[in-house]
Amino acid sequence: MIELIAKSFVMNLFKINCMLSFALLSLTGYAQQIPIDSSTQLNVVEVSDSKYILFSNSSKTETFDSTLLNRYSTNNLADVLVNESQIFIKSYGLGSLATTSFRGAGASHTAVLWNGFNLQSPMNGLIDLSLIPANFMNEAKVQYGGGGAMWGSGAVGGSIHLNNIGIYNRGISFATNTTFGSFSDKQQQAQIEISKKRFISSVKLFNHDAKNDFPFVNSAQYGKPLQRQTNAELQEYGLMQENYFQLNSRQKINTRFWYQFNDRNIPPSMTQNINVSNQKDELYRLTSEWQRTGAKIKSIVRAAYFDEYLFFADSSIDIDSKSRTKVFITEAENNFSITKFDIVNIGLNNTYSEAITEDYIQNPHQNRTSIFASYKIQTYNDSWTAVVSAREEFVENKAIPFSPSIGIRGKFLKYFSIKLSAAKHYRLPTFNDLYWAQGGNPNLKAEEGWSEEASLEHSYSKKNIFWELGATAFNRDINNWIIWLPDEYGIWSPENVLKVWSRGVEYKVKFILEKNKFKFQLSGLYNYVLSTNEKAATANDVSVGKQLIYVPIQNAQGSASIIYKGTSLNYTQLYTGYRYTLSDNSNYLKPYSLANISVSQTFSLSTSKLKIFAQLNNVWQETYQVLAYRAMPLFNYQVGLSLVFNQPNPK
Amino acid sequence: MYNYLNFKNKAMIKTKQLFYLSVLATAITISSCKKDDPEPATGGGAGGTSYASGVFITNEGPFGSGTGTINFYNRSTGGVSNDIFEAKNGYPLGNIVQSMEIFNSKAYIVVNNAGKVEIADGTSFASSGAITGFTYPRYFLGINSSKGYVSEWGSGGMAGAVKIIDLTTKTITGTITTGNGAEGMVLAGSKVYVACSGGFTNDSVVTVINSVTNSVSTTINVGANPRSIKMDAGGKVWVLCSGEWDATYTFLQKPGKLVRIDTATNAVDLSLPFASTFSQPSNLVINNAKTMLYYSYSSAVYSHSTSSSILSGTALINRSFYGFGIDPTNDYFYGSDAVDFVSNGKVIRYNASATLVDSFAVGVIPGNFFFR
Repeated sequence: MIELIAKSFVMNLFKINCMLSFALLSLTGYAQQIPIDSSTQLNVVEVSDSKYILFSNSSKTETFDSTLLNRYSTNNLADVLVNESQIFIKSYGLGSLATTSFRGAGASHTAVLWNGFNLQSPMNGLIDLSLIPANFMNEAKVQYGGGGAMWGSGAVGGSIHLNNIGIYNRGISFATNTTFGSFSDKQQQAQIEISKKRFISSVKLFNHDAKNDFPFVNSAQYGKPLQRQTNAELQEYGLMQENYFQLNSRQKINTRFWYQFNDRNIPPSMTQNINVSNQKDELYRLTSEWQRTGAKIKSIVRAAYFDEYLFFADSSIDIDSKSRTKVFITEAENNFSITKFDIVNIGLNNTYSEAITEDYIQNPHQNRTSIFASYKIQTYNDSWTAVVSAREEFVENKAIPFSPSIGIRGKFLKYFSIKLSAAKHYRLPTFNDLYWAQGGNPNLKAEEGWSEEASLEHSYSKKNIFWELGATAFNRDINNWIIWLPDEYGIWSPENVLKVWSRGVEYKVKFILEKNKFKFQLSGLYNYVLSTNEKAATANDVSVGKQLIYVPIQNAQGSASIIYKGTSLNYTQLYTGYRYTLSDNSNYLKPYSLANISVSQTFSLSTSKLKIFAQLNNVWQETYQVLAYRAMPLFNYQVGLSLVFNQPNPK
Repeated sequence: MYNYLNFKNKAMIKTKQLFYLSVLATAITISSCKKDDPEPATGGGAGGTSYASGVFITNEGPFGSGTGTINFYNRSTGGVSNDIFEAKNGYPLGNIVQSMEIFNSKAYIVVNNAGKVEIADGTSFASSGAITGFTYPRYFLGINSSKGYVSEWGSGGMAGAVKIIDLTTKTITGTITTGNGAEGMVLAGSKVYVACSGGFTNDSVVTVINSVTNSVSTTINVGANPRSIKMDAGGKVWVLCSGEWDATYTFLQKPGKLVRIDTATNAVDLSLPFASTFSQPSNLVINNAKTMLYYSYSSAVYSHSTSSSILSGTALINRSFYGFGIDPTNDYFYGSDAVDFVSNGKVIRYNASATLVDSFAVGVIPGNFFFR
């Protein structure tokens, strides 16, 4: 949605980068030629992830900008990542719970940060990506590999960074988006933004409901009947309100507020007959940030308060549970330079979490403080950089293992670059692991280990042509991996038992041809990931040396897009290989291949735009299962209309 | 609708393949594409496909959305056949296979979380449909050639009942309300004793049903959460109560109990409490002569003579099992190990003097045995 407001957001993003490099360069106090025409009027941009921009470039990263997110305006973050990233998304069905598996790690091994604040639930360490509307964010970035030093607990397989970006002086904008889709899917979105020279205020709203009663052949029942999915209805709505102020030339303040309510029924699996479960999630997320760019030091102080409710009811098993978590995060960081060739970041984070639930004997709370620092040194022309980072976290005043990381990025032979990095990672046990009644184990240690990776990239651009090839090899250990097993009395309890070794290769290729108003793009991704358990959990454990369940060894994605004037067409083909369903690898799910098409036509009139779009999913009617016996829809579609109006500020 | 859903244009498939191949060209050249299916499950079919005599092992299957399976162990060859139901019928049993019983040459397989009882031929295992409409069914008990009972926990695990089944029409014909969490059942003459395990809450009774009139004749207080129930050679009924946790699940506020019911008077004539406030006794079984009881307790298997009035302090087998059974043909003990609960389990066999014999792999979470 926001993309439509900007006249050319691609250009703006370019400006963001330039502005940032500009800010950084002025910070480092050494001038370098900035490739921006002096006559271009720069829109000042406000971002909250300078740490990512400054210190992540020795790891493999991916950025999904607002142009791309806008193509998924009717989808959630899980859909974006399934189609665009190399992360495997474990989806329980259309509109149902979707979690990540990053390079063969578990669902709680992904840190999801919203403008720098970790959103992982303190109760289970998860975040359901299907509950994040793609259009609420202006940008999503993915950093592959562990990042304990940079992002703290949970950044084991990788981290996902969701950002809102304030762009000053764009005038008054208004946008709406209405879609209809298969299985009674209806969505409405609206956004209003006032963007002045020193002040931005915006509101985004969305409403979504769907029946998701898709037909499928239930091959797990007598006679393989054609059935319709039951108990799959969902309703969700939300609001995001952002304010940005430039107090003066040095100081900025922003506030962001995110409210969302989700009411979902949980459908039965193909091997169950009925399910009457319902889950409601309600969340209030409020953040504020103050940035001061001094002559020598840039300081950022930010705070967040997350208040989240989860209601789960299943009358058939007499469960009607309510739980609430409160998380209060404060963080302060400073960026400065010692010489012309380096930059330092030092910060402090305090995270206080609390859960209010009947599932534990007492309502637990946890106070965590961490000190973190990063140091980057670069050559004069920025062709080689090295980054060292470290974090020491104290959980209830008890130090947990020190987490360092190191990375190098270098450019050579004009068209090549190399990235090397090694990082310690860790994940703290969740409240459920520690306090669940019965079985919670308060003596659990944090899971920890190292990940290493090496990337080689080649990119070439000449006139109308651009191409890029990349290969990454990675290696990762996770020790003390927590699993739940029954103890000698038959009581289920978590223990630090497994040791998981993951390694693999990831390839990417991209080709762009751009001429006048014509753009053609081809891209492909492929990963080969082995993620095996290296330690027996029980006496007869035969899972040693075997691939973890639901971790595909092979994954591939290919897409082609054509954009001509206001017309855009994209075709994406996804392939997911075998996934074992049992830890001894004695059973598996067959590979599947899905194709999705999106098409849109934009009509521009002065500063207004009208766009008609359609998204066609699973166009070749593949019958597939992501998780065993969870039915998935065949062909389905969404069609929509969006309208954008912008009135620039008077000059 | 069906045709529409399966509509596939051959030309389209070709385009798809071509496209797919082209975008993956780089990947395929670099890494050899695995075309072959991974290694299949081991031991399939070694126990044969005729199940006239042997041991059936019901495997609950993975939690969540999985399916349970049944293994068949052939006593004479020592071979094991895997997933005999799906192998014969082409579809899985469903979520959480709780138990099975062969009655009048038909196998009745109770599928807990799918709320059904699948019916198959006892020898070929060919399916003849399912009885549906249960809510958390647990065990089947044959009453006569046209009638069977199925215990169930009911809605919310708080509406314990015995469902009356017409075996001819394969339908539920009535409901007999019992205590919470109707579980193990035993037929003593024309009376059915139903252990009421509490379901998702607690209870402490055995409900006695007159199987002629299908009505409750009496309710006997036995002890906290009775699960398994067996009848001895003298016609007395033994009930193993698993005990009751305190509200915070830190200790057993009511420890387990082994209780004997005199079926003539329906009175409890022996009640033997267990000492542990952490370990719940489980899996009560009885030998072929119906003179020795066996149960799991405190990570071991203990025996109890039906003529004894004190609990034994000496373990028979020093190992805990997920499921436990005794083969009436030779009094061999069968214990199951669910390993990590997300891989295939194991069955360990011991002879009548509790000496380890051998073991074999079975399906996921082996929970119950049926000996034939």
